[in-house]
Amino acid sequence: MDNITQERLNQLRGAAGAKRHNARTVAALTGNPGCVRRAVLDAAGVDKDKLARRVGFPAKFGQSQFAITRGNSFEAQVKANAFAELITLLRDTLGLQIGEVGQTDLEQVGGNTSQEIRHTRSRQKLTGAMTNGESTFFDHPLLTLDVGGNTVYLEPDLVAFHHEGVFHVVEIKSFAVIDDQADGAKVAAAAIQSAVYVLALRRLLGDDKVSHEVVLVCPKDFSNKPVATKIDVRKQLIVLEHQLTRLARIETLVDALPPGLSLDLDNSADDLFKALSEIEARYAPDCIAKCEMAFFCRNEARGCTAALGISVREELGGVETVAEALGLADGTLVASDDQAEAASMLRATADIYASAAAA
Amino acid sequence: MTAISSYARARAVVAGRAFSIATRRHVHLSDTPLVFVPLAMAGEASAPLAAMIGTQPDKPTLLLVPQPRNRDLRFGFAASLADIVLDYVHSCSQRVEISANEQVFLDAPQLLVPNAAGVGFVKLLGRSTRYRRTTGPYPVPPQVPLLGRWLTHLSERSEFAGSSALLAMTSALGMHWATGQSALEDANLAALLGWIDPPDGVTGPDAALAAEDPLIWPPAGPSTDPAFDNEILAPAIRAWTDAATDSPKRHRALNTLERALRGQLEPTWQLMWRAIDVLRRLPAADSVDTRWTTDRRDFSRYHQYVTDGGLPQARRDGAVAAARKLRNLEREQDLYDATRALEDPLVMANYRITGAAFQGTVVQVDRDRRVPGGKGRAVTRPLIVVSTTDPAHLAISTKVQAPTRSGQTGTIVQIDRQPDTTLVTLELSGGMTAAKVPPPGTVPEMDEHITYTSAYPESFRKVELPPPDQTPWTHGGPPKPYTPTNDDAQEVWE
Amino acid sequence: MLVVTSVAEELERRIDELRAAVRKAVTAGERERANALRAELRKTERQWEDALDELAEPPVTTVPRQAGPLLPLREQVHQALTLLGAPAAPKLIIAVHEAFHVGEMVPARLTSLRRDEERSFRSAPHARPYYLCSALSADLLAPARGLLAVSTWAMTTRVIGPLSPRVDFLTSAIRLSEYLSRIPEPGPAARRLLWRFAANIPGAAANTDAMTPAAVAEAADAELQIHQDTDRSHREAAAKRAREQLDDVEQLFGSRLRSISATGS
Repeated sequence: MDNITQERLNQLRGAAGAKRHNARTVAALTGNPGCVRRAVLDAAGVDKDKLARRVGFPAKFGQSQFAITRGNSFEAQVKANAFAELITLLRDTLGLQIGEVGQTDLEQVGGNTSQEIRHTRSRQKLTGAMTNGESTFFDHPLLTLDVGGNTVYLEPDLVAFHHEGVFHVVEIKSFAVIDDQADGAKVAAAAIQSAVYVLALRRLLGDDKVSHEVVLVCPKDFSNKPVATKIDVRKQLIVLEHQLTRLARIETLVDALPPGLSLDLDNSADDLFKALSEIEARYAPDCIAKCEMAFFCRNEARGCTAALGISVREELGGVETVAEALGLADGTLVASDDQAEAASMLRATADIYASAAAA
Repeated sequence: MTAISSYARARAVVAGRAFSIATRRHVHLSDTPLVFVPLAMAGEASAPLAAMIGTQPDKPTLLLVPQPRNRDLRFGFAASLADIVLDYVHSCSQRVEISANEQVFLDAPQLLVPNAAGVGFVKLLGRSTRYRRTTGPYPVPPQVPLLGRWLTHLSERSEFAGSSALLAMTSALGMHWATGQSALEDANLAALLGWIDPPDGVTGPDAALAAEDPLIWPPAGPSTDPAFDNEILAPAIRAWTDAATDSPKRHRALNTLERALRGQLEPTWQLMWRAIDVLRRLPAADSVDTRWTTDRRDFSRYHQYVTDGGLPQARRDGAVAAARKLRNLEREQDLYDATRALEDPLVMANYRITGAAFQGTVVQVDRDRRVPGGKGRAVTRPLIVVSTTDPAHLAISTKVQAPTRSGQTGTIVQIDRQPDTTLVTLELSGGMTAAKVPPPGTVPEMDEHITYTSAYPESFRKVELPPPDQTPWTHGGPPKPYTPTNDDAQEVWE
Repeated sequence: MLVVTSVAEELERRIDELRAAVRKAVTAGERERANALRAELRKTERQWEDALDELAEPPVTTVPRQAGPLLPLREQVHQALTLLGAPAAPKLIIAVHEAFHVGEMVPARLTSLRRDEERSFRSAPHARPYYLCSALSADLLAPARGLLAVSTWAMTTRVIGPLSPRVDFLTSAIRLSEYLSRIPEPGPAARRLLWRFAANIPGAAANTDAMTPAAVAEAADAELQIHQDTDRSHREAAAKRAREQLDDVEQLFGSRLRSISATGS
């Protein structure tokens, strides 16, 4: 990202410090690539949660402490006693040799938890892994990834180095694998989050040194006993790479913004509302689960077919607003040339619905 | 089944209220359904936290687990739930009829949960309890494994499209009404009912918006609101855990927990009964009763199996069995959709829009047309022409049937698309006796309004029956292979 | 029988109100208001507990939890570590203690133990026969996260190289097995503890029933042989640097201020 763009983004954000990305938010970028609003807000490091509240549409995210505790205690259990359970699992899943038990703690550096220091040390230890062969397990390494010109810090649970010279990302999750099956949505989320880590690790060490197979460690059935599964994230990697290159064109997006636009949280709610409206969004119902701005954008999208979901929008001929779709359907709106097919389909639908409802 | 519902959603947006997508009720509603509203502990696979359950709106039973991490308390919850569920199952087995050499109970259990996640919870709870043993390292009361078997059975049954044994109310409502919001938002029962049955003077969208505030409308579960977990539930559980057994502090903590959880469950409980009332207002389609009979038969057979000491369901289907099951499920869905269309013009409308069916007027009839038959003798094959404005995307020689004339099949011999109308020529056979001239009324008349569809039950490919030694128990064959092992009873439930 | 007073009930009502208000504030994202309400809630909860304590309750007789003389926490930890023979995390120390003694060890008290020991050492160095101290990471000679050690152990035992955590795990498994075979009736808690080791050592035990201390020790030793030499050389090199570069306090509690890096790392 060039300096001018960075400056503009800083101005846009205003006084507040930049909110940093994490693996989850990077992963979420793949969900809605066409949304300029989100791309700009994230690039500028705006606190979307605060912003949503300021404009009167607070998000409803929040994590139950029970879920957090469960996640933490499962990870602690699996790593307890010199990674006893993990070693047993990974010896099997990754085919580690019996001598491969070395461990390096990267969660802190001599009591120091500063990100810069941890990252430097992580780089040192990971790049040195092959030559000195001391360590197999790297606990909570701190990696970086360039996301649209911003440096994002990423922290996988564990990275394992295999004697054949390949690194694997290991993620410890507390959702259960029951009878060899797990919640599809949760596995998908874990896969894409892991892919972000793989990408970051590859940028550091080289593509051929980091496996596209990540290991997911989860509780088995209804117990706390862990089970390890390998997941191929090649598809997710492709999508991510693609999204990240698109993001790199943030200059164009920022350039197109009206000059003097400000999203400083100290501004009045009215001003923020107006400013946000100047940045184009692409609302879809699944934004609600992924983005703090969702309710604001949903309110803006009232009357648009997109608010009803992408498949509904398609069934309504891809027409943008509900009013337009119904207008074409009952003939009160004249169809343009490229709307002709959609219009005839909508007219048929309206007629058939009317005849069936009357029956 | 989305062509009509998408259009209806658009209409709903403008009207500010839900639009019908069915003129009949296509699910069975028992006179005494068992309504079950479960809450699960965040972060666990099916760890029960609390539930409200009962067959009458004014008599809910509240069950709760004061310390969800305590295994004994979890099994205590399961035992109490088992008592209620098994009692209910028993009550459905009181009256019997003999039908085709089978003993079939006149009633069958119907479990109603708020949403699809609730069905998932039932499935998981069944899985986590059906292998427990009454002896060995982690013994449980005997009704617990029995509960597991019944919950598993009901959740397997719910995978069949036409079954009403276990229903998610959001799905049942969503089959009959389209709201002006997305399907994702429809998963919120309070929001869905807000569109379908808003309070007086409130628009659908406003009612739905209020439904999103967890402080007014607690989530229908099984997930809880994180703010509730952190601010109210966690302190209450801590207070209970820290108090000594039987101390006044513990009694108070239990009261607090009860009050808090009741507060989270009661609104959804009321919603469930309101949803039942809303659905009941729709007249039942004819085949609802037939499908419920299938449910009753299935219940009777499983009841017999359990009483005879049958083994719990195996962990997973083998690959072949899974593939077969999937084909069966798909076929069930197709049949269900087609049957509903035959009984409900709004459902038929979907097929008309896609062109698989058409509705129109008979403009020509050649009722005593004779053609050479297969055995050399002439057969009567009347020819009719239907004029329709529907898309009618059908190929020549497609077979179609009219809902009003089951037993008679039409074969498309010609389609003539004109500017204002499409003329479909059909050759008819069946449903007119063997007479040379079809008796009056057996063949469509001039100017008759008629609908023809290519999706009728007999049109679907026959499903290959599995070889006898692999016939599922539901068809009288041997049970799925399951070998109990010591591991099952020891399977930890933490 | 519950003895009810209007004071306690009134406080309960207030607590419920406050909880609901906190929840409302959290849901609306009003952080400061939520915090203020939480503070008032805590105050009210304390008042409520006091009110309850004043109620006439029948004295609750509890079975005394400790049988035998009550040792101070530091001595209990010392015993557990001595058994294990290697630096260990608080969770393991507690598990060892509870496997062989009646009575619990409170985790919270262990987290401040190392800090207290360091303070005690600084005020009067070497005054006590032993101190509970840190284990040092081999490369930076900084305190290794989450580990406790005994000051009377050799430096080589108290430094942690890359292979050391696993080596210490195996060492502790052997010592635990030996201890178990010496005492007359190990009891289920002790066997459960041994199983936590055995389950993660190849060839140690097929299942909990078949597990024998002798077999566990043998299997642990077999793997130990593979790591031991490399681990020892790491530890000896690190111990040498620690003795040369760190003062007394730092040798026990680790270096935090300066980063001492090993050559080549």
